[in-house]
Amino acid sequence: MNKNKKILSALSLIAVALIIMIFSSMPSATSKEITITDIVESTDKFEGDYIMTEGLLNKNSVQWNADDIELRFEIFDQNETSLSVFYKGVQPDNFTEDVIVIVEGFIGENGVFEAEKVMTKCPSKYEGEDMENYDSEMHKELYNDLQE
Amino acid sequence: MYLIGNITIYLGIVIAAYALIANILGIRKHSKKWIESARGAVLSLIFVSLLASFLLLYFLGTSQFQFEYVASYTSLNLPMVYKLTAFWAGNAGSLLLWTVLLCLYTGILVFSKEKRNPMMPYVSSILLLNILFFFTVMALDGNPFAMTETIPADGKGLNPMLQHPGMILHPVTLYLGYVGLAVPFAFAIGALILRRMDAEWIKLTRRWTITAWLFLTLGNIIGGWWAYLELGWGGYWAWDPVENASFLPWLTVSAFLHSVMIQERKGMLKTWNISLIILSYILTLFGTFLVRSGVLTSVHAFGSGPLGTYFLVFMAFMMLFSIYIVMTRYQLIKKESIPIDSYFSKESSFLLNNLILVAGAFAVFWGSMYPLISEAVTGTKINVGAPYFDSVMAPILLCLILLMAVCPLIAWQKATVERFIKNAIWPLAAGIVSAITLIILGTKGILAVIGLSSTIFMFATHVQEFIQGTRARMRATKENIFRAIYKLIRKNQRRYGGYIVHIGIALIAVGVIASHAYSEEVLKTVNLGESFTIGDYELTFKGLTETTDKGNGIVVADIGTTYRGKDVGTVQPEKVFYESWPEPSTEVAIKTNWKEDLYLVLSSWENREKITLQVKVNPFVSWIWAGGIIMIIGTAVALVGGKTSTVGIWKALRSGR
Repeated sequence: MNKNKKILSALSLIAVALIIMIFSSMPSATSKEITITDIVESTDKFEGDYIMTEGLLNKNSVQWNADDIELRFEIFDQNETSLSVFYKGVQPDNFTEDVIVIVEGFIGENGVFEAEKVMTKCPSKYEGEDMENYDSEMHKELYNDLQE
Repeated sequence: MYLIGNITIYLGIVIAAYALIANILGIRKHSKKWIESARGAVLSLIFVSLLASFLLLYFLGTSQFQFEYVASYTSLNLPMVYKLTAFWAGNAGSLLLWTVLLCLYTGILVFSKEKRNPMMPYVSSILLLNILFFFTVMALDGNPFAMTETIPADGKGLNPMLQHPGMILHPVTLYLGYVGLAVPFAFAIGALILRRMDAEWIKLTRRWTITAWLFLTLGNIIGGWWAYLELGWGGYWAWDPVENASFLPWLTVSAFLHSVMIQERKGMLKTWNISLIILSYILTLFGTFLVRSGVLTSVHAFGSGPLGTYFLVFMAFMMLFSIYIVMTRYQLIKKESIPIDSYFSKESSFLLNNLILVAGAFAVFWGSMYPLISEAVTGTKINVGAPYFDSVMAPILLCLILLMAVCPLIAWQKATVERFIKNAIWPLAAGIVSAITLIILGTKGILAVIGLSSTIFMFATHVQEFIQGTRARMRATKENIFRAIYKLIRKNQRRYGGYIVHIGIALIAVGVIASHAYSEEVLKTVNLGESFTIGDYELTFKGLTETTDKGNGIVVADIGTTYRGKDVGTVQPEKVFYESWPEPSTEVAIKTNWKEDLYLVLSSWENREKITLQVKVNPFVSWIWAGGIIMIIGTAVALVGGKTSTVGIWKALRSGR
């Protein structure tokens, strides 16, 4: 074995170690992307899982308790299945009718989603490409596209 | 006018195709005439692309809403500077920016003093291939001169988040970096086609690569700064796929900048260097694909369209092409490779550095792509969030810092352990002392303490390098200290420029580690006159007022602030209601001192006397920006100095021909 080979094998050992490290830190830090319908239909299945889901905001359902900093709202998907969300935090920017809301958190036993993160996504946030038809219809369409 | 705009795009395709063919014919027939003609065509490409750019700027500046692009991104009341920077607010303009930069770079190359270099027709052809691609994409799906059906009275306006100085700098710097990487890539492939296995292509493109890297650095840091000031979530980096896309080539180019030194000095690592630069270039295309295709769930929602697919196809083509070239020349590269002399040498430490940087790039890549991979394998999209990246990248950052701490102390070829220990003793002591001090001061978090003291170890190594060098000079030349420092750097700008960059990274590391480990956050609803504390600050809600400025309504909260009992004035977080935008946007208020930022966001209000605030204390974030500036200075030092003399090689080559 010459020196080059030895160095190469040492380096590949380190590489293997690094890769093991990368993989071993995966499970602790993942969120499953699941549709609202799936969550509502099989709540038990996902109990304890860190879930990410997205849906359109029902503006009328928003309840904001400023004193306790508690936010409750509902999001729904294209099957009109809605999911109640509870979040200890404030409304993000762009929190309006029919905006796509991304939530991350756990599904509770009572079927209320306890969010740890609430984000809004607007197709025109950075790119105005879709601005010419900026309306809720388009949002819904876009959302349906995303679901496919 | 409309006609001229469109003609420039189609003319671009025609001229680029012509120049490409002329180059190939020139190479095939060994005809100077064809090469000369291709060079002329490049000149007209510059003209055409500049004309298109100036036209677009003119339309934007004069609000000609009959153009779709102008109507989509600007409005009448937009300040002039943002009307013009809307140039790169959308796909079509970004493509044009990329194209014009490519044309300029190609022009600079083919008219440089290396223009008679036999590699140049190849280099120019590869760059022309890129130009052709971009003009074609613009013609297919991203024409900045497309017209609206009816001329609207006013445009849609620019997203308020984009109305920030960051918008002027961030996209342009990133594009300059992205486009710049095409140059060393073209040279590497050109050299391979010609079967030139020496380090010539590296020497010729050293400045290009460093410049591209400089712009990537700038682009990423400005992006972080912008996000920190504008987005209101208190952070500067979210490991979003779009951010990762610009971080990936930065990592691989950083590895490349180190490993080429070994090839220049020793002629080793040829395959590795070529692979790295190919990878970096491919990653710039991949990043654009990720950003434009919408395959990943990102809060940065870019319009999804066929654009991503074009990039994917072009990327696959360039990748196969490069792999083909490398494979057919592999025996030749292998034949001329030289083994390493010693395990304990700068060469080995650079290899380790490369390995870690590439592993970091792989980890980031893996994390960004994981949703797609897991969906393909298990059917469920599994997202890995910031925690994954934090837990993987933290040890990688630590390894890099430790390597930077010891690397300058290890000699080339064969280093001796005794000498190394003698050099390392003081910096290591500084690191250990700082670790003890931090623990005594009651700093929590063992990982953060290790990280911070390693950073101090690394910083001390570099300071020691400067002190030792200066002392040696003062002894040898009797110069005064300032002159000695100046001369020291001047005499070896590549080395000391690099060290200055490392010192910048040390500051950034302090900022990143401290702001991750020790930031505090409070969410609070307060009534008028009510106070609360966070860190060393006491905040009092003094009132909510409304004003208007240039047609925009602004809601301002006055928050009286004391720092350790001392009054430090009023801070004013705002919500701005833009006339041309349906949703209000947050204006963060930040109060900075040398060690921390007080970061305030006005989240919502019930009435004039009751508001909800989101307050953070972010330690050492301003060090990240300062470190960025130092990195830029260091890169500039390395860039202007350290001429690699290629004159000798040229003479030899020419006489041999």
